[in-house]
Amino acid sequence: MTLRLAGLLLVAVLALVPVTVLPTPPVTWLAGLALVIGGVGALTLTTPLVTTGASLAVIGYAIALALDRPAVDPVVAVAFGATLVLVLPLVHFAERARGAMVPPSVVAAQIRGWLALALLGAGIAAALTAGAGLLTPVLASARLPVVIALAGLGASLAVGALVRALLER
Amino acid sequence: MSWRPTTLALAFVTVIGWALFLGVLTGRVELVIAAAPPAVALLAALRRGAAPALEIEHAPSADRLLEDEEVTVSVTLRAAQAAALVEVLEPLPARVRVGRGSNHAFFTLRAGEEIRWELVLRCTGRQRLRLGGPFVRLWGPLGVTAAEARSPAARRVAVYPRVTPLRYPPRPVTTQTFVGNHVSPAQGEGIEPGDIRPFAPGDQVRHVNWRATLRLGTLHVTQHHRERNAEVVLILDTLSEVGPPGRTVVDVAARAAGALAAAYLARKDRVGLIEYGGQLRWVRPGSGRAQLQRLLDTLVDASVVFTYVQRDVDLIPPRILPPQALVLALSPLLDARFVRAASDLAARGFDLVVIAVSPVGPARAAMGRSGVGDLAARLWALERRAQLAELRRRGLTVVDWDGVAPLDAALAPLRRPRLRRVLA
Repeated sequence: MTLRLAGLLLVAVLALVPVTVLPTPPVTWLAGLALVIGGVGALTLTTPLVTTGASLAVIGYAIALALDRPAVDPVVAVAFGATLVLVLPLVHFAERARGAMVPPSVVAAQIRGWLALALLGAGIAAALTAGAGLLTPVLASARLPVVIALAGLGASLAVGALVRALLER
Repeated sequence: MSWRPTTLALAFVTVIGWALFLGVLTGRVELVIAAAPPAVALLAALRRGAAPALEIEHAPSADRLLEDEEVTVSVTLRAAQAAALVEVLEPLPARVRVGRGSNHAFFTLRAGEEIRWELVLRCTGRQRLRLGGPFVRLWGPLGVTAAEARSPAARRVAVYPRVTPLRYPPRPVTTQTFVGNHVSPAQGEGIEPGDIRPFAPGDQVRHVNWRATLRLGTLHVTQHHRERNAEVVLILDTLSEVGPPGRTVVDVAARAAGALAAAYLARKDRVGLIEYGGQLRWVRPGSGRAQLQRLLDTLVDASVVFTYVQRDVDLIPPRILPPQALVLALSPLLDARFVRAASDLAARGFDLVVIAVSPVGPARAAMGRSGVGDLAARLWALERRAQLAELRRRGLTVVDWDGVAPLDAALAPLRRPRLRRVLA
């Protein structure tokens, strides 16, 4: 039951973020829907429902940002991402462990592992954000052909990696 | 054992994909930043290649059980490398439930650590239990990758029908030549006193009946009945069954057959078994503890195999069904083929006793309680009573047994010595 409540709490945090950005009816309705679907998923320990709820929260966050156009707030964004990292494995583990014998030490070790990965993700996201802030002036003054060439290089690297992954299968 | 992505990895990719797509669409960097922690966590948690090797030992505490007895299954896990999360699932065969503990557990193993996990299984019906070993799943960090394996060691546990002691099994009409516990009509060495006759040269002095000698004025001796064994053949009807799993009429009949076999073998009789159903299987009459084991092994495997074929008793060799044997047929009398076979045996002069196991109780147990069900059960019981009366009228010895009352009580009317009947 504790894991269910923790999952519900994290889903509520995800649904609350878009409302705090822009508390207008469409965003509130979408956040409410995300809360209902994600909350049902957390209480019934159904990972696909929680994934749907989280996706709806992301969509609500995007709509709120697109409509309101506020100043960039990386802290909220990193917190939102870290919550996503925590909620999905928590519900997935609780779903797997339903009715099973799970020693408290195992649960504690799992929570420690999720927190470590969420902190790692949040730290790297913060570092990338800071790095992007430094790169912005450089990229802003870059010429369009350079940007297109870099984008093309990135795309070809991605396609090459995909082909290799498929061949390895 | 190699790592494979789980559905959770797909969930992560879905959420990251939405965030990146909407970030590009709306031109808001917050969504890209929000996608970064799950993306980093996913990349950090993904595992490839071979999973850490895990040694699994799986051992049940016994390989032979009686119904409703418990078996403790020990699973030992040993890891050469650390495993963050190990999931173990012992699949439960049919008619087996967990007595103590859980058949599903999670563990964390450090490098070189050994974990012993025990669970108690209760077997509710006769069967040849196959414990195929536990499924083991190693979870990677976050649960986005997993590696699965199954312990290859399959163990078999035979769950025998519960044998209740019987004090008075039906007495055979004819006995055999070997020494046993049944009083034979023939005179000879024995304990049971028989007729009195005048003394003849060669008679032992200890056999002189002094009371008769004094009364009649001449020496008289007491003759004794020989004590001989008998041949008993149990016929188990497996043409049809009703009732919930583990409590079907065949299960009840198998329990009764086991009890009868044990009782007769304890009296030095030779006992055989015929499984009369879709498969015609038999055990040749024999005696001793090994024979009891043989019979119980056959009873464990007795099951209904559907067939339209009418098996004639002619197919059974005489060495399996000796003409002088006491034949005990255990049947719910649901299939007309068995009723015909029993009538055929009785008409051939076999000393036949039909123990009619009532199917009404097991059928009611399998159905829910309802007024219509109760009425149907009462009508069925009346029909069955008429069927048994008809069989008795034809000259068959039929014992009605509901499967709940002690078998000894049902067999009580057969305690008196019976005479061989000749059917028209």
